[in-house]
Amino acid sequence: MKRELNVNHLSRVEGHGAVDIVIDGSALKEIRLRFTEGPRFFEYITRERLYTEIPKIVSRICGICYVSHRLASSMAIEDAFGVEVTEEIKLLRKLLIVGEYLESHALHLYFLALPDYMGYGSAIEMAKDYPNIVKRGFAIKEVGNRIMKTIAGKTVHGENVLAGGFKSIPEKEQLERIRDDLYGIIPELKATLSLFDSLNYPEANSPHNYELSLKGGHFGSLCEELEISDGTVFTKREYEFFVEEEVSPYSTAKRSTIKGKAFLIGPLARVNRALDSYHPSVKEEIKKLKNALPSSNPFLSNLARAVELLEAGFLGIETVERLLNAYPFEPEVPLEPKKGEGYGVKEAPRGTLYHRYAFDENGRCIGANIITPTAQLQAVIEENLASLVEKDLHLPDSELKKRAEMLVRAYDP
Amino acid sequence: MVRIGIMGLTGCSGCQCEILNCQEALLKMLKRVSINFFPLAQDDNSLEDLDILFVEGSVTTEEDERKVKKGREVSSLLVAIGSCACYGGVQSQRNDEVSLTEMVKAVYGEKGVPVKVSKPRAVSEVVEVDYELPGCPLDKKQFVYTVASLLSGVKPFFPKIPVCHECKLSENECLILKGIPCQGPVTFSGCGAPCTSAGVGCQGCRGNCDFPNFEEMVSLLTQRGLSVEDAVKFLKVFRGYTAKEIKVRGVVDEKGA
Repeated sequence: MKRELNVNHLSRVEGHGAVDIVIDGSALKEIRLRFTEGPRFFEYITRERLYTEIPKIVSRICGICYVSHRLASSMAIEDAFGVEVTEEIKLLRKLLIVGEYLESHALHLYFLALPDYMGYGSAIEMAKDYPNIVKRGFAIKEVGNRIMKTIAGKTVHGENVLAGGFKSIPEKEQLERIRDDLYGIIPELKATLSLFDSLNYPEANSPHNYELSLKGGHFGSLCEELEISDGTVFTKREYEFFVEEEVSPYSTAKRSTIKGKAFLIGPLARVNRALDSYHPSVKEEIKKLKNALPSSNPFLSNLARAVELLEAGFLGIETVERLLNAYPFEPEVPLEPKKGEGYGVKEAPRGTLYHRYAFDENGRCIGANIITPTAQLQAVIEENLASLVEKDLHLPDSELKKRAEMLVRAYDP
Repeated sequence: MVRIGIMGLTGCSGCQCEILNCQEALLKMLKRVSINFFPLAQDDNSLEDLDILFVEGSVTTEEDERKVKKGREVSSLLVAIGSCACYGGVQSQRNDEVSLTEMVKAVYGEKGVPVKVSKPRAVSEVVEVDYELPGCPLDKKQFVYTVASLLSGVKPFFPKIPVCHECKLSENECLILKGIPCQGPVTFSGCGAPCTSAGVGCQGCRGNCDFPNFEEMVSLLTQRGLSVEDAVKFLKVFRGYTAKEIKVRGVVDEKGA
């Protein structure tokens, strides 16, 4: 008997995706994850534009992780022009990343993922029975948004994140407010971690061929080396030699592999690697969890996000204290365009992100390549979906579809 | 209950995220409206019989076109949100420079892209639009104001005055006078000038104000170090099809004649 399962419009994911599953008798015949998002040709619309335009344009790749695209492109431009920003600018960038993660992870956990585990179709429905849980999600998001608004100028696509640094820095009082906000949400972040530890995650132990992250796996890292779980460390310049991209016959996102194989990126890959580097209080909380980390269960990406949220809280406090000690400081370093190529890597909330640009002597872009987390996740999600479906073949169609959706959502592609 | 829908076409989902960022206002709104269609945030979505449909993103794929036409058919009011839906978005900034085939080939190679695409278009280039809330992303306050007005049977109104107006109200020093490229004089206000307040020139994300004087704008930008070509590209980023209003014929010469 042939079964065909199609989820044509994945809901509660950013962007547009679909899953096709074909089962023949007791065997899985085919699995396809299709991203049907319209193409926007970012590698082409950046061409012939001045370097000053690039972070602004690529910011628009993603409304949730715009900070990542702006920083990766800014760092690539600095790399091309041979400029190093100051320690203070790096710290302010780090605080901005904390804001980005608080917003993005809280949005994903509370509004996209949690309804699945609580048995609702949306957070809006859930709010009727669990108003305080939804409000907690809003409260964490709000702090993240306020940090981004304060530093970047706007919550989404803040224009004050540029190559060379910033045009202005926040007032001292604003930084103090951020510090107080962060102290205020630590209990909420701890509660989030216990909530996401208490959920019933489906079993799915599909060891990944490889896991990839920035070296050390810390989400707030501005390091320029990458690390594969087999121990290989490589530089940002070598990225395209390790991560190979090909055009997919059915998806508008390209498909990437490492050494011919699918690989895991994102919160779980990072947390698996970074456990030892976290703040002592975070380590303390991790010890209390009933789920074990590191893990190869992709559903636990949600728990990994909750771990990173708590770490974001503590990292934010530490960073803002250091900024207050250094206050006031120069917002930017001068840039002098020159001919050449530059590279930028960053851990975006969904996974490792790579930008490369080539510039002419006037600083006009003559070539670009951007490898997004979504593209790198396509292959690994398909692989995980296949093992999930094979294990759960006996389930009725509706249940199997639901599981498949939850799995894709756990990746938040 | 007023039935509303929120639809995403080709874009970054940033406007839909800003709607979710309305938080408290959103919870209050839910007492008067039911959200019948919002795939980003909920499972059961029905694109039927709506009072207001908000549309984000440009019309780029065949599927986008089908969706937005259906949306127009089933909704009494259609509101385009964000600069992709209002003008075509950043993805349309080279529509007049290169062919679609060239773009596809450069990014996806000979194999091409697996969905049917056209050059990105604004929603109003495909169906009739009742209101436009531009910006990249849209402005939260304007969204809440629009919903509140429509719920009360009042037409939302946005004066198309330049960003300079709000920048002055924010007591900022003029960035153009400081030599920083800024599109404030030709850009539709309503954002509260957050970029200029942060010391970054206005990037024009909200599109044209009424009677934009592009000739003078280009002249000001070139006096501050940009070539005419770069100045025009700077102005084009967000303006989509409305960038055709940018006229550079007879650019004012050095003497300001």
